[in-house]
Amino acid sequence: MNLPRRHLMIGLAGLAGTAATYARAETPLTSDAPKGHVDTAVQRVPFYGPHQAGVTTPRPEAGIMAAFDVVVRDVDGLEDMLRRLTERGATLTAGGPVPERDPNLPPADSGILGDNITPDNLTMTVSLGASLFDKLEGLDRLRPRQLQRMVEFPNDALVPANCHGDLSIQFSANLPDTAMHALRDIVKNMSDALVLRWMQEGNVPPVLPAADGTTPSARNFLGFRDGSANPDSNDADLMRNVVWVQDGAEPAWATGGTYQVVRVIRNFVERWDRARLSEQEAIIGRRKMSGAPLDQPDANEHTVPDYTAGDHTPMDAHIRMANPRGPDADKHLILRRPFNYSNGIASNGQLDQGLLFICYQADMELGFLTVQNRLNGEPLEEYIKPVGGGYFFTLPGVANAGDYLGSALIMAARQS
Amino acid sequence: MSDPSRRMLYVAIAASGALAAAGFAAFAIATSRTADNTTDADRSVTVTAETCQPNAIEVPGGLRTFEIINTSDRPIEWEILDGVMVVAERENIAPGFRQTMKVRLTPGTYAMTCGLLSNPRGTLTVLPSEEAAAAAGNVTLRSFLGPLSEYRVYLSMQGAAAIKAAETLRDAIAAGDIDAARAAWQAARAPYRRIEPLAFRLSDLANTIDPQAAFLELREDDPAFTGFHRIEYALFDQNSLEGLQPVADRLVADLTTLRARLHEVDMTPDLLMALPADMSRMLAESRIPNGEDTYAATDAADLQASLDGVEKLTGLLTPLTDPVDAPLAADIRQATDKARAELDSDAPFDAEARARLAPVFAGLAETLGKLPATIGVD
Amino acid sequence: MFSLKPTAFAVSITMLAGAPVLAADPSLDLVAPLADYKIYVAENTAQLVADTDAFVEAIKSGDLETAKALYAPTRTSYEKVEPIAELFSDLDVTIDARADDYEHAEADPNFTGFHRIEYALWVEDDTAAAVPFAERLMADVTDLDARINALTFPPDVVVAGAATLMEEVAATKISGEEDRYSGTDLWDFEANFAGAKKIYALLRPLITDDAAFIEKTDGNFDEVDEVLAKYREGEGFKHYEALTDDDRAFLSSRVNTLAEDLSMLPGKLGLS
Repeated sequence: MNLPRRHLMIGLAGLAGTAATYARAETPLTSDAPKGHVDTAVQRVPFYGPHQAGVTTPRPEAGIMAAFDVVVRDVDGLEDMLRRLTERGATLTAGGPVPERDPNLPPADSGILGDNITPDNLTMTVSLGASLFDKLEGLDRLRPRQLQRMVEFPNDALVPANCHGDLSIQFSANLPDTAMHALRDIVKNMSDALVLRWMQEGNVPPVLPAADGTTPSARNFLGFRDGSANPDSNDADLMRNVVWVQDGAEPAWATGGTYQVVRVIRNFVERWDRARLSEQEAIIGRRKMSGAPLDQPDANEHTVPDYTAGDHTPMDAHIRMANPRGPDADKHLILRRPFNYSNGIASNGQLDQGLLFICYQADMELGFLTVQNRLNGEPLEEYIKPVGGGYFFTLPGVANAGDYLGSALIMAARQS
Repeated sequence: MSDPSRRMLYVAIAASGALAAAGFAAFAIATSRTADNTTDADRSVTVTAETCQPNAIEVPGGLRTFEIINTSDRPIEWEILDGVMVVAERENIAPGFRQTMKVRLTPGTYAMTCGLLSNPRGTLTVLPSEEAAAAAGNVTLRSFLGPLSEYRVYLSMQGAAAIKAAETLRDAIAAGDIDAARAAWQAARAPYRRIEPLAFRLSDLANTIDPQAAFLELREDDPAFTGFHRIEYALFDQNSLEGLQPVADRLVADLTTLRARLHEVDMTPDLLMALPADMSRMLAESRIPNGEDTYAATDAADLQASLDGVEKLTGLLTPLTDPVDAPLAADIRQATDKARAELDSDAPFDAEARARLAPVFAGLAETLGKLPATIGVD
Repeated sequence: MFSLKPTAFAVSITMLAGAPVLAADPSLDLVAPLADYKIYVAENTAQLVADTDAFVEAIKSGDLETAKALYAPTRTSYEKVEPIAELFSDLDVTIDARADDYEHAEADPNFTGFHRIEYALWVEDDTAAAVPFAERLMADVTDLDARINALTFPPDVVVAGAATLMEEVAATKISGEEDRYSGTDLWDFEANFAGAKKIYALLRPLITDDAAFIEKTDGNFDEVDEVLAKYREGEGFKHYEALTDDDRAFLSSRVNTLAEDLSMLPGKLGLS
């Protein structure tokens, strides 16, 4: 852990002239720590803007989804909490030196990133659950129209302790420690207002570029490429249609926000790994290695499947049920931003791992709910089991340093 | 953990000649930071489902940092034990987590708990070190906090016991039961004598609670003859309870005031260290040669209680002086034991006994008088 | 691109934590509160001995209902003084260990003390099974009382004790795992809480330079009291299951914040 930080310190301090000197000493100095990268450590995602970061921001490797109970008495308390949360978010995502405190006191910071917090592509995306609008007087009328407590689908086996919440924070960063540092900071500094309800860590495996220069989608724990049909998050027009709530659709304060659906979906990987490859591919509807649709097995994952050309893709294949590619397909698009998770083993000795499914959409009925209802009864259900998660509404962005998360909601709540 | 830093130091020295000054400065900053980080923990202990790894540790005395890693599948606590006393502990270390713990250790052998209570304990050997010796010799104000507060507790408890016994005495007098009054008088005397090292310094109260007729102009007939000895005189010499009720009431009131006043005293280390010698000297120079309980002849019992009070003080102080002056602590122990042994004898408390006891207590006072000099409080 | 200045960063965290001003060295002003605390502890262990005596008598006479009724109130005197009581590791184990501390859990032959008796009364439904553990408990609390009276209290343990008790509540009482057979966790919660409050009340006059800390901490103690009051019933508290999710979340927030803030006490008073 020491070596990368030292690299960084010198890098940040701009002591480029010492690089050669440093390199001489480096070989004998090498500890057994894996080497970090200055270029990714200093990556900073802008905190301010019309939308929160962490939605259309490309996924970095590490993610944490944490859900909290909010302990405030009224709208004033909510505003205070949101202002402080904004301050922590702005501070943590910007990075900088950890403040020093008298050593006779507990330190101000967990210290897991050392004495200089690296931005490391950290984003903190704050969303509100339906229960928050229920519990605070004056908020109910401002609830986003489709925001509800997560419903239980036929294949779900929801564990109450891992579901719902008044507020969620999605942490994403290049390194797991950066995301964990941010969560620890929130738990330490916001304990009077935010009580952790459940959390799930996850990661996305980095993917090597393909021979043609494109970057294929990352694989999930079923071994399939995940996200091949995801809308392009760099396409601002598309994102405006798919992800961001526009004027008129929702209470005015919600413009610029989005619906966040979180599902912790356990994969029964031992059983999956014992399923024939042809069965796996039929269940998903794609070739396992390339991601190509079954009707064009030699194409690549980005090739659009053609369901009219014979019965190559079973009617009940996952991708076909999720998106039958009908004329109104674009209405049901969602932006998926999942992470793989692994939680050790279950009581039966089998691996407890799966997908921390996260998706964003401007219309939850047309988006996730429609897609999931289509998927009910799919053959894949034999191998997966949703066990947790929740529905949340991601707050619009923070305009500038004078603004705070949810300021429009608070203002609306005060206008009776 | 120490290996890499030593290697770094070597590199720093070896490379320095070849390096440009500016470059070296940057390098030195870098290495010194690293050295700071690598000394985060002196020792790392992994607690598995069954044991600590390593299960026997040696560290030099002083301020040490331990890193405890829980690789078992249950939350654990990790403790350093001195006998059955917990020296330091970390609770609720979750499975897979690590915590660090800083603790100031004096040389000796300790036990470490390792997860489940049924697991065998590890041993922690703390070796003598310059750091530990320096820490032991450096008696700070802080080291007096425990003894000073414990002495306050003692004053409070014994003060309460004296009040309670005096109330029994008062009630027995009111009931006209002279035998019960005699027993109660003796019972009230002991706790008062135990706290006398500080109580006698509150002279106004000492003069109403414990004046002796021998020091008053009109002796037993002097109106200032009040308190314990006035009651003793009536119970044991006059065999009469006549006119005693207001005296007993006053004694209860004075002891109650005394307890409250003692509670207000600003205790300082200097005062605490002065008390045992002063008390012993007073016993040796006045109480023993002159005799005190002239009517009840209970001087021996009183002296036992006084010695209890002195021993309470030395028991609090010698742990502080021991590291600085171990022989003195032994001398004090020896002198106290000797006084106790003399008092335990069945011989009558006559002139011969007084002559024998006075130098014993004088010797005790002299030994105790060395206490303040051993410790310069910073 | 926006970037926060390091100074702004430092200020922001300090503001959140309150501006701590530290005593360089502990002051003799600590002597009186330390002494008063020992007296408080001694009173509680004396009460523990007396209450345990009645509890044990009920068990020996086979009176299951009385024994069950006395279980929680007897424990409270122990829970109030836990920072000191747990210094004696052997007794802390035999008096207050939980089944999780043993490899064979409830079946472990070394499982003794309050929770073993709790198991006998509520799960085994059998006072006779509890008798040997009751007799052992009586001996242990008597021993504890004597040892505590003879102990010079370590100042740092006392001062840190307020946070220790809050950590204890946060780790085991808020979840209802401490008294899992009887559901009397709220009694323990309140006792731990009262013990922390006692230490804070004794030390509070010594914190003269941080009004914000005092105001915030006073407020958090008061708010916990208010919520706990909703669960009072007779001389004690309702079953743990009566605790609503909202109140549990609220208590958790206050307890964790108190643990966070009270952890500043040793540093503020020059003990570390």
